[in-house]
Amino acid sequence: MTDAAVDISRVEKRFGDLVAVRDLDLRIEPGEFFSIIGPSGCGKTTTLRMIAGFEDPTTGRISVGGRDMTGVRPYRRPVNTVFQSYALFPHLDVFENVAFGLREAKVGRAEVRTRVDEAVALVQLQGRERSRPRQLSGGQQQRVALARALVNRPEVLLLDEPLGALDLKLRTDMQTQLKDLQRSVGVTFCYVTHDQGEAFSMSDRVAVMNHGLLEQVGTPEEIYHRPASSFVADFVGTANRFAGRVEGVEADRYAVAIDGIGRRTARGPAGLESGAAVLVLVRPENLVLNGSVGDGGLDAHVVDTAFLGAERTVRLHSPKLGELTATARGSGEPPEQGSRVGLSWADDDAWLIPAADAAS
Amino acid sequence: MDRDQGGVAIERVAAPPPAAPRRRRIDTGRFARLGLLAPTLAITLVCFIVPLGLIALYSFGSVNQVDFNVYFGWTTGNYRAFTSSLYLNTLARSVILSVSTTLACAVIGFTFAYFISRQSPRAQRLLLVAVIVPFWTSFIVRTYSWVDLLQNLGPIDRFARALGMNGHIDILYTQWSIGIGILYSYLPLMILPIYVSLERIDPALFDAAEDLGATPWRQFRRVVLPMAVPGLIAGIIIVGVPALGEYVIPEILGGGKTLMAGNILADQFLQTGNYPFGSALAVSIMVVLMVLLFTLRRAQPAADPQ
Amino acid sequence: MNVRRHPFAASVSLLVLLFLWLPLIVVAVNSFNQQTIMAGWGGFTTHWYGLALHDQNVRTGLETTLYIAVASALLSLAIAVSGALWWRRASPKARAVYDGLIYARIILPEVVSATALFFLFLKIHFTLGLTAIVIGHTVWNSAYAAIIVQARMAGLDPALEEAAADLGATPWRTFRRVTFAALLPAIIAAGLLAFTFSFDDVVTSVFLQGASNTPLPVVILGMIRFRITPEINAIGLLVMLFTVTLMSMAVLIYATAGSLGRRGNMLDIYRGR
Repeated sequence: MTDAAVDISRVEKRFGDLVAVRDLDLRIEPGEFFSIIGPSGCGKTTTLRMIAGFEDPTTGRISVGGRDMTGVRPYRRPVNTVFQSYALFPHLDVFENVAFGLREAKVGRAEVRTRVDEAVALVQLQGRERSRPRQLSGGQQQRVALARALVNRPEVLLLDEPLGALDLKLRTDMQTQLKDLQRSVGVTFCYVTHDQGEAFSMSDRVAVMNHGLLEQVGTPEEIYHRPASSFVADFVGTANRFAGRVEGVEADRYAVAIDGIGRRTARGPAGLESGAAVLVLVRPENLVLNGSVGDGGLDAHVVDTAFLGAERTVRLHSPKLGELTATARGSGEPPEQGSRVGLSWADDDAWLIPAADAAS
Repeated sequence: MDRDQGGVAIERVAAPPPAAPRRRRIDTGRFARLGLLAPTLAITLVCFIVPLGLIALYSFGSVNQVDFNVYFGWTTGNYRAFTSSLYLNTLARSVILSVSTTLACAVIGFTFAYFISRQSPRAQRLLLVAVIVPFWTSFIVRTYSWVDLLQNLGPIDRFARALGMNGHIDILYTQWSIGIGILYSYLPLMILPIYVSLERIDPALFDAAEDLGATPWRQFRRVVLPMAVPGLIAGIIIVGVPALGEYVIPEILGGGKTLMAGNILADQFLQTGNYPFGSALAVSIMVVLMVLLFTLRRAQPAADPQ
Repeated sequence: MNVRRHPFAASVSLLVLLFLWLPLIVVAVNSFNQQTIMAGWGGFTTHWYGLALHDQNVRTGLETTLYIAVASALLSLAIAVSGALWWRRASPKARAVYDGLIYARIILPEVVSATALFFLFLKIHFTLGLTAIVIGHTVWNSAYAAIIVQARMAGLDPALEEAAADLGATPWRTFRRVTFAALLPAIIAAGLLAFTFSFDDVVTSVFLQGASNTPLPVVILGMIRFRITPEINAIGLLVMLFTVTLMSMAVLIYATAGSLGRRGNMLDIYRGR
């Protein structure tokens, strides 16, 4: 197995009594766009800072490119960071900002020139080399920060919520640019954000953290369609949940008895045992509304609808299942408020979460 | 946190047990940080705290009348000397003069600061410069110029006589000239903190007050005044405390006749040689100041947000 | 100017401005006044300037004061900068004590601190003189310098130093290339301020001068006490012009170069207090 770009092994980080990160095991593969997401205070920024070297793990070990980084100061790590506030040096122009790391590495003048020009071109800021940071817009400053980090050809590029200060349109543009950039340059990116959509649109894999614990790591699809816990399910989207109990395993499906409804088939993670308490997860877009109630089927009445343009959100109440949310296409007739509709979903669209995790 | 700025970097290539390097790095970091604090410690402890402590100690000492040696022995004689009418009068007058001048300074300063705060930003800057530039000129020269101005036959005297006054103004070398001198020197110091407080007031507050039925005077009383209090108190501290210990102004504008606490204090050390008494005086001044500071600080509403 | 709405405040303000500037104008005018007694204008002359510039006392005084001011300014800067660097990573309690000591050194009447230092030097048999004066000045000069430097330090994005480390700079290199560069305007402004305060100082200099050469302000004080001549006006105007120029430079440097990324004006010093 090749060395991971970043290998975090049984890392815990304490600040006095506060445990910011606990029992973290994570591998970031070379060349991938990896994101860590989670709510404020979940430990994602702390983790990033530990990889960069600004914090040391209380216990555990972090390796970069196979080399143990314990005790190694930030200025000796093959890692560079793009800071949330950009942290551009105000007294230096763009050229000198980008060249900073190269100068510290005592790179020769000619090479500095070439590499800085390259980096500046990469972020499309040619012609602004003599400008001071305060003369640049937020988006431009952000790109200088990016160039400044990339010019050093780090093994891993760390990005700490770099797009937070930008407005929506700029943010979406930058997301596309970052993704293309990462693909073309091939450097491992480790990206931290609280914005799930942002992470999903750019990343190869995503890690979800909560209160210092790693909840799940996987591709965006895996995380969305096969969440490991209720927390993850809610963090990346809305979900309808029904309590139930596993009754058996059939081929690659589970048989579940859903409270109030009866036996259904669903998918789930491996290893669930008969009798285990579970939650059945059905995403709103997979909840099908029928005009009439089919035989043996479920019904609910419409509480409210909201038209969002491409979609329509429908809030429902079912006597057996409680509050539900469904998403329908924006076109077509909206269901009438108060009307009774039939509910169904495909078996493949139901996913099981162990109920023990429900408390998270 | 775990980073040391200015400390010696310890590189680790192999992976040692986690505890060892961490402990060593913290020690080096702390050591370096203390090194950074050393100059400040030297100047504050050695040259500020210790001398003051020494003075406090010797305020309980006495002077041998025969050989003029100062020796230390616990006596409160120096403090009791204050009760003698000679010193008590002077000191009391000194305090009254400082206090009244500070109050005058506060009223005038507040009016000026209020006026500035009601101007356009450009006009504000201009006015501030106009107030501060005199402050940048030599203190002693400014004070001396008042000798010229206030003396009989000087411009103010002639101006007053032209207005019909009989006799001379006879201001120079009295309490009044000292008061004017103190007012003059400290006015900018009073204006600035008050202005800073006033400038912070969101103009929308006036609109809000007006909307709720407050007349201009009521707006002033209920919006401006309360919000200016922190700046006012800061100004009173910055002016009142040094004013109590003024030396130069009474020297020049008091003509050696009217003495304040600062002059008496200097006298003890530079001429009379009665160090213990001087020390007692110094300690008393400090005590008065601390009481003043304490009461003023209590009166100050919650610290203004930075 | 918005005068009409506040007639009372406006008139008071006008009087205040006159009050503040009158003495300066008088000094300036009289420095060219041929008439020695304050009986009015006696004709234009630069006689007093000639007297002042050739007066040996004045020249020695100037040299002495310049030496003291430069020495004290440099010393104060060293103390202020090192203190500010320490302050950054200090605990809140330690910071409170540090800030309190700065405040105390500024607030305490100069007579008291000069007296105390005089007494200390006496007791430890430390010779009074120029070194003693420099030390005495530095006690409060370092406090003023510390306020300015610290205000600037507080406004620095801590991420800047992290960025430098991230890009390969050792702590020393980080200080040299990033921290010091960002602090430079404040350092220059603080240095100029300390210099000016020292240049102007009377009380501490009187107490601690011992048998050394007399600093200029004390020379002036002596002239005032014993022989009030218009020469003082000439010296006064020259000194005033000198200090105003220095202070203006300090403010300009701090406000413009210092505002890299954030608004900075002299009032920020007050706000930082």
